[in-house]
Amino acid sequence: MSHIQNKALSDLQPGAEAVVTQVLATGKIRHRLLEMGFVRGARLRVEKLAPLGDPMELVIKGYHLSLRREEGQCILVAEEI
Amino acid sequence: MTTLALAGNPNCGKTTIFNALTGSRHHVGNWPGVTVERRSGTFDSPAGPVEVVDLPGTYSLSARSEDERIASQYVADPAVDLIVNVLDASNLERNLYLTTQLLELARPVVFVLNMMDDAETKGLKIDLPALAKLLGGPVVPTVGNREEGIEALKAAILQAAAAPPQHLATVNYGSDIEGELHKLEAEISRDEELAQTQPPRRLALLLLEGVPHALEAMERCHARKAIGAQLAASLAFLEKHLGADAATLVAERRYGFVHGLVEEVVERSARKHADVTSRIDTLLTHRYLGIPIFIAIMIGVYTLTFVVGKVPQDWIAAGFGWLHDYAGARLPASELSSLLVDGIIPGVGAVIVFVPVIMLLMGCIAFLEDTGYMARAAFIMDRLMHLMGLHGKSFIPLIMGTGCNVPAVQATRTIEAREDRFITILVAPLISCSARLQIYIVIAGTFFKPVQAAFAILAMHFLGFFLAMGMGKLLRLSLFRGENAPFVMELPPYRLPVLKSTLIHMWEKGSVFLNRAGTVILAGSTLVWFLSHYPGIANRAWNAELQTQQAAVRARNLPHPEQAAQLAALELTHESRVVNTSLAARFGKLMEPTLAPILDPYHTRPEAWKDTVALTAGFVAKEIVVSTMAVIHQAKAADGGEEREASALQEALRTRSGLTPLTALAFMVFTLIYTPCLGTVGMIMKETRSFLWAGFTIVYGSGLAWLMAWLTVLGGHLLGYV
Repeated sequence: MSHIQNKALSDLQPGAEAVVTQVLATGKIRHRLLEMGFVRGARLRVEKLAPLGDPMELVIKGYHLSLRREEGQCILVAEEI
Repeated sequence: MTTLALAGNPNCGKTTIFNALTGSRHHVGNWPGVTVERRSGTFDSPAGPVEVVDLPGTYSLSARSEDERIASQYVADPAVDLIVNVLDASNLERNLYLTTQLLELARPVVFVLNMMDDAETKGLKIDLPALAKLLGGPVVPTVGNREEGIEALKAAILQAAAAPPQHLATVNYGSDIEGELHKLEAEISRDEELAQTQPPRRLALLLLEGVPHALEAMERCHARKAIGAQLAASLAFLEKHLGADAATLVAERRYGFVHGLVEEVVERSARKHADVTSRIDTLLTHRYLGIPIFIAIMIGVYTLTFVVGKVPQDWIAAGFGWLHDYAGARLPASELSSLLVDGIIPGVGAVIVFVPVIMLLMGCIAFLEDTGYMARAAFIMDRLMHLMGLHGKSFIPLIMGTGCNVPAVQATRTIEAREDRFITILVAPLISCSARLQIYIVIAGTFFKPVQAAFAILAMHFLGFFLAMGMGKLLRLSLFRGENAPFVMELPPYRLPVLKSTLIHMWEKGSVFLNRAGTVILAGSTLVWFLSHYPGIANRAWNAELQTQQAAVRARNLPHPEQAAQLAALELTHESRVVNTSLAARFGKLMEPTLAPILDPYHTRPEAWKDTVALTAGFVAKEIVVSTMAVIHQAKAADGGEEREASALQEALRTRSGLTPLTALAFMVFTLIYTPCLGTVGMIMKETRSFLWAGFTIVYGSGLAWLMAWLTVLGGHLLGYV
């Protein structure tokens, strides 16, 4: 299995699987993301996009979570292909 | 009395555990100074009563939101004897993150593995004794919605309260971080006062994480220089040696600890069933079907609340109407009876009439939340709502506002972030409600052809929505600037709600409304009664005049219908004399010049002040605008009947008021936007806990209303209308 490094989470397509490499967000958002499980090495899978294209739904740490594109841009991942 | 705090993530079933523990013996209030609900209750035990306090569900104790601040303060409160940490057994990994923070408090904890049935369906086997050993405290499996394991939980609580578990687990943060933690702890321990407030290790961790309230506590203490210097050194060291900031490192180590724990105690068998939630979601959040299904659900909720809810509402209104007539007929005419008949009885009626819709809407919302659909609704609508500076969860309160703004404001409780909730509350009154519809129907019906009237009414509703969007964006950019609350929302698994907890929820909302907003509405409507009846009602000469005239009519011994009609006409003349000279009318006349550019742009309407009086009276409830107009224009059909009355008013408006189609439209625009009604103001006051915000909605509403109505007149004038 190989990886595409340092892709923004928001650029992943539904069905894609990836590993978190870095959280770029700052302040409140950064802490919230960390607490919700976006720590380095955490595996996630993009489930789908909302009917209007934003936000996105993903599975991380075994639960479903939705995230706006804005926040997804601040999370770098290594996509598994 | 033993006091225990229920702590846990949102959606972990904490409230069902709370309900199962306390039964119906509980009380809903607010945490001091905020609008976060505080639920507490008791259960009896051989060792005396046990008080249970349900904390707001949080993912962490970092105190970055209102909920988290309350939870983190309360779990550290010396009044709490025991913490009960409720965990969703089917989602242990994320739930245990909060546990790592609770462990740092070094206080007795009992762990509850709730939703064990879901864990089983997911094919998870959890080694409970091993988990208890690793966490260092008792672990009790439960299925909250079926009340399974509650007796065992009570026993574990009593046992832990009597003999607190001694060997709670601690997270090992690795030698680098631990080294820095020790140094910080040493500095903190030197300040005895500070060290007494919470365990030094916890405070050291909070400081490393950069939690605002911990930093403030440090700034306030005597040893701030020494601790501050050590903190700066530690942060620099960790950044340099571990290549990441301390907050990231701490979160990573906690998740590392949790991951290790889960690997140790959870055995995953091949999945018995496919993930039910994902299957439901392929339909409910489907790319094309998601929105139509959402709309259908909204129509259902709306119908249930405002169409079905209208039935008991009409009974209540009829009941109070009957009481009003009965008391009016029996009591001798006096100021006191007028206070009772025209002030208090309608006032109490105006409060109680809201209860059915509030309970129904809150019941629907509780149902949507408990099933897990609420999060999907926010997921579907967020894109649209984000455009107007709002949150996906703002949509439901706003759409319900078209029925009535009062429950709409209360429905904003589902929005977690304070900024998002406040903006939604402040723009909600712009949504045109069904009471305003009655005004449009009378006005548009008088001045427009039927098709035009329908368009005008529809346009009012759209205008309301667009203004709400604009104001939302504006408020976000001005008063609520600053950091946006992140939209990181869990989509919890779908669950069948428990009827009992939905009913408890409905009852709570209804009674909270009666207690809080009800008092404001009652006081306000009594005040308005006073303003609209004095000083005329106390004018003896007028009262005597009325009596003489009535006696004269009776003396003529006319046939019954004619006599009744003449008596009613006298009554109406008297009534409109009282209203037209009242304090409210004086206020209306005083305000008339400010509204003249809108309602009387060419100074051709001697009766323009009557509109202002009607609008002033409409502050109590917008429905009253129409009935006040009928009184001041002396347009009551003699033989009653609502339809006849409306057409009598329309006739009077058309022939005597001097309104033109253009100024009538401006009047509608003004009615849409100007001050929220008293009920809404009372609710806003309760939900924001501030006179200022409630006052703000009145002021900005009136200003915006003037502007929009003026633009209507100006635009119409430019297009050649008068």
